[in-house]
Amino acid sequence: MKDAFLLVYRNIRERKTRSILTMLGVVVGIAAVIAIMSISYGMEESITEQLSEMADLIIVRPGKMSFETGYLELGSFTDRDLEDVERIEGVKKAAGMVGGMQEVEYRGEKVMVNIAGTEPMDFGAVFGERIVKHEEGRDLRDNDRKVCEIGYSIAHDYFDYEIGVNDRLTINGSKFRVVGVLEEQGGFRSNVDSQIYVTKSDALDIFNTKDIATIFVRVKEIGDADEIANEIEERIDDNHKLDDFSTAMTMGSAVESLESIFQMLQVFLVAIGSLSLIVASLGIMNTTLMSVMERTHEIGVMKAIGAKNRNILSLFLMEAGVVSGIGGVLGGVAGVFAAKVITIYIHAAFNVEIAAIVKPEVLLGGVAVAVLVGILSGFYPARKASKLSPVEAVRYE
Amino acid sequence: MIHTENLSKTYRMGDVEVQALRDVNLEIQDGEFIAIIGPSGSGKSTLLNIIGCLDKPTSGAVFIEDIDTASLSENELAEIRREKIGFIFQQYNLVHTLNAIENVALPMFFAGVKREMRLKRAEELLVKVELGDRMYHKPAELSGGEQQRVAIARALSNDPEIIIGDEPTGNVDTEAGNLIMDILDGLNRDGKMIIVVTHDAEIAARAGRTKRMRDGRVLD
Ligand SMILES: Nc1ncnc2c1ncn2[C@@H]1O[C@H](COP(=O)(O)OP(=O)(O)O)[C@@H](O)[C@H]1O
Ligand SMILES: [Mg+2]
Repeated sequence: MKDAFLLVYRNIRERKTRSILTMLGVVVGIAAVIAIMSISYGMEESITEQLSEMADLIIVRPGKMSFETGYLELGSFTDRDLEDVERIEGVKKAAGMVGGMQEVEYRGEKVMVNIAGTEPMDFGAVFGERIVKHEEGRDLRDNDRKVCEIGYSIAHDYFDYEIGVNDRLTINGSKFRVVGVLEEQGGFRSNVDSQIYVTKSDALDIFNTKDIATIFVRVKEIGDADEIANEIEERIDDNHKLDDFSTAMTMGSAVESLESIFQMLQVFLVAIGSLSLIVASLGIMNTTLMSVMERTHEIGVMKAIGAKNRNILSLFLMEAGVVSGIGGVLGGVAGVFAAKVITIYIHAAFNVEIAAIVKPEVLLGGVAVAVLVGILSGFYPARKASKLSPVEAVRYE
Repeated sequence: MIHTENLSKTYRMGDVEVQALRDVNLEIQDGEFIAIIGPSGSGKSTLLNIIGCLDKPTSGAVFIEDIDTASLSENELAEIRREKIGFIFQQYNLVHTLNAIENVALPMFFAGVKREMRLKRAEELLVKVELGDRMYHKPAELSGGEQQRVAIARALSNDPEIIIGDEPTGNVDTEAGNLIMDILDGLNRDGKMIIVVTHDAEIAARAGRTKRMRDGRVLD
């Protein structure tokens, strides 16, 4: 075995350039597949994590969505609507949000920003539990007045000056002290980054209203969401004595369709990666065929001194296997590296944090596939080599 | 013992037929040293190739130790070539990526002999052909005569009873040729059957028996 490898190694080394080029084909193929799979596992996880914050959510808005008119706002909700919704069977939590666009001033610069006011205890229900994490500072508290939390982009991007804890913003003429800066959310939750959060009572002051703009509902069972959404619409429509006064959107179905789109994308990407593997296998086949042709004489000599067909076959299969195996290992390394580089690029370009997930079984699988592809593509030429007649092969120069 | 019965070989190239062997009946005893001479194209190589199981006759038969080689499978023929016959070519035909000792060990590798055993025996054989100081040289670093001696050592690797040489001295100078013939002589004294084809009458004279070929026939 060791000598077989020696023989194979010598032959590979003798045709160094060609072996390296063939290997490179495998490296690219395997690296592409591994990088794509690692990134898409990473994406899948970050999407599922983000979406899981929304899967049990129903967002209720006063108004109607239609293709013709877009969103048509018909009024706003009352505290009674909120109480009624909270009493519906299967509802875990209902929270009202008072908010809207409002001019905000910081160091003389004025920007329109979305203000969201909720009871501090309802924060998690509205935005998902993840929002509780802070880059700096603390949560809003029930008895807080004239203080705010700000999203990541508000703190860092919206204004010329950075905003931090204890800085003061002017909202609708009143000074608000910043008590907390939220961590960056990005991706599907990037709206969280560009809002300012105040207590519900401050929001009522800012907007000079008693009305609730949006009701956020968390359900106990995601499966019941559609049914509960219907019931919410009925109750609120009853309260306002209007058909189609409210629209309750379940996020679960949106999550599902997103996930299936993502899975299709994944299959598509892996298919593209596999295409490069097919190209690589043609390369191996070509190299092995050339190797067989160039070494016809040598094959004849080996057969003349007693090599059986399967000795020759295994030598050439090993040659293909070794070239593609090394290619596979290098491809694995390159794939992991490429995955990291691509995630860094994605982060820089789209502001989406994805950690590539390199599964050991994908890495090992990649190397195994490389060897397999090598051996399969090498099989036809190797078999051809093994079947050569000894005299004719020896005569071939 | 080897014997042939009405051995014939016809090569066909398009419309042209070449009768390379015509009804050759030849008997070679164990331990015999036989030289075959004859003009170029008379069928000497064809005969050796068929006796050496590298090629098949068009008609007739070759018996090696009473085995009809026509009845053997490709694998069994490979085993005969590996175990019973050592073939020496005019062009040496060493594997150029392997050094001398690896070349000599190659037939043992195909026979599945253990590595240490192989290398030990290959070393002994190289010493025997006076190449103890050239063991790790690649063929390109050896003279023609040296390469041919490596080829002889390789032919001996699985200790066959039959050594076949197709003009083994054809490509080397007289001095190297004599050394090669001395080695073959010695092997014959050790009891091996030696069959060589040669142009050189002087070399043929060292054989126990000489057969002349012409136009595909072995003359009496
Ligand atoms: N593979 C082949 N195809 C066609 N003709 C061949 C082949 N090998 C040998 N011959 C012909 O057969 C005859 C005998 O050749 P060969 O046995 O090589 O003779 P020698 O070794 O005595 O010179 C020659 O005429 C040669 O041209
Ligand atoms: Mg000849």
